[in-house]
Amino acid sequence: MPVPEVRIMTPGNQRQVALVTGASSGFGLETARLLAEKGYRVYATYRNPKKLTDLKALVDSFDVHPIPMEVTKTPSVDKAVKEIIKKEGRIDILVNNAGFAMAGFLEDLSDQDFKDQFDTNVFGYLRVIRAVVPVMRQRKAGKIVILGSISGRVAFPALGAYVASKFAVKALCDCLRQELRPYGIGVTEIVPGSYHTQVAASSRYGKNVRSPESPYRDYTRQMEELIAKESAKGGHPSEVAGIIWKALNDSPMKMVYFAGLDAKGMAFLKWFLPDFVFEGILKLIIPWSRFPRTDPKF
Amino acid sequence: MKIMEKRSVALITGCSTGIGFEASLALARSGYRVFATLRNYKKAGALREASKGLPVEILSLDVDKPLVAKKTVSTIIRKAGRIDVLINNAGWGSFGALEEFTDEEIKAQYETNVFGLMRMTQAVLPVMRAQKGGRILHIGSLAGRMTFAGTGLYCSSKYAVEAFTEAMRTEVRPFNIEVTVIEPGSTNTAFKNNRHLSDKFLKGRSEYQGVLEKILAHGNHQSQKAPGAGQVVDAILKALDSRRMAVRYTAGFDAAWYPVIRWFLPDTFYDWILKCLYRRFAS
Repeated sequence: MPVPEVRIMTPGNQRQVALVTGASSGFGLETARLLAEKGYRVYATYRNPKKLTDLKALVDSFDVHPIPMEVTKTPSVDKAVKEIIKKEGRIDILVNNAGFAMAGFLEDLSDQDFKDQFDTNVFGYLRVIRAVVPVMRQRKAGKIVILGSISGRVAFPALGAYVASKFAVKALCDCLRQELRPYGIGVTEIVPGSYHTQVAASSRYGKNVRSPESPYRDYTRQMEELIAKESAKGGHPSEVAGIIWKALNDSPMKMVYFAGLDAKGMAFLKWFLPDFVFEGILKLIIPWSRFPRTDPKF
Repeated sequence: MKIMEKRSVALITGCSTGIGFEASLALARSGYRVFATLRNYKKAGALREASKGLPVEILSLDVDKPLVAKKTVSTIIRKAGRIDVLINNAGWGSFGALEEFTDEEIKAQYETNVFGLMRMTQAVLPVMRAQKGGRILHIGSLAGRMTFAGTGLYCSSKYAVEAFTEAMRTEVRPFNIEVTVIEPGSTNTAFKNNRHLSDKFLKGRSEYQGVLEKILAHGNHQSQKAPGAGQVVDAILKALDSRRMAVRYTAGFDAAWYPVIRWFLPDTFYDWILKCLYRRFAS
């Protein structure tokens, strides 16, 4: 079925406006590109001005406007959104994407590591939503796409903080969907599996993860190998942009869209299997859980 | 852990009322040496009264404060030499429309329910690793499995607890440490008195004023009808008595069955039910 090419121009012949956060690489960049190709005016936010090369390449050929936004700082978010509203008077689509992954065993992470992770991945989403929803409500229309992750369904070890932040995002999506529906604002969650994005490269290591004293140092190494192997298999992020486009064309949008076979498969297994069976499967995959317990009679 | 050569030691947070209060008494009765912590030491009177003759020691501990967790753990080690069970119970609920919470409100909710819980866990893990075993019980919630409008912030913090539990189980298994989450449904405790409502709602300037009022009133009504903390204590004792702790233990009819019902329903149908429910609250 051909994708209907609607919503390019509104009756007032004004371009529809999309705001994509974290658009300097990965899903954000590809989504900004796709939305621009489909005729949207895209405001693409970035944090680090040094990583702008890919986004700049878009500016030449499309209606893409990079703007700086630090999602961990409320004034920065408010300022960027205000600027867009002043220029355009509207935001039709919000793609909440900015995020990073904190790697490390939960015990190895510091207080600050947890706070940084949630500040970007959870509170950051909320800050942007808080700024954008009033303008959507005024027009009684709008679509919010929130990037979750398969980590929001399946709790992988050695990624505990990231996983917890994505579980929290799932709750936010489900709740916002109900709260904003009466105002004509649609909310959906996109759940990608593993893809070739910068999330691995831009992931951070917790405070003690690299410390030789960490009780988990061997497991961390094993896990790194496993993650490297898995993420090498991942598809191109433009696939996820395609699914976001599909979601935007559904009316109303579904609760959740899975991207990638691995995400679909794992989410299905997690849903279908009892907890202990699913854990048993994880045990087969994760090297150290096959080790004997230190003291079985405890 | 049925046969104990030495008395097992349990550390429970948030014991001034409700689940923590009942759990510390129940564990003490079933043979544990209990260290019950609470944030506001002035509220220790009731527990001190109720625990007369039982091996319960009351300590003051605010899980929001960094470093305090480690200090408390070393106090307990000095007194009892070990910690076999940690029950992460301290927590409260923040309610309102997700859009209307301020940064401070969001951070305050997470500080206790998520970061505080992790601080306690991290403080206890080295002890358990050294003694080659231990059990950690997080008190999650039905709100960690399902959400409803007006409860988003609280739910998201409890979803995070579910994630911590599931991830940490695999991480600490080689050290013979077990982790589980207890999921109470509606429970008649002081939870409703300790809850926080979003500032905008309290000032009557919320976009969602009418709906929120009805949802909160409904929540109150539900919890007044609900059984007390006893059912949660039963779930805790069941977890502690089991040979290997399962991923989760539910307490109460709603906590046991709502997720099962959700499990059966297709997304679209479930979404439609929520839409109808929300409409009923809004009308």
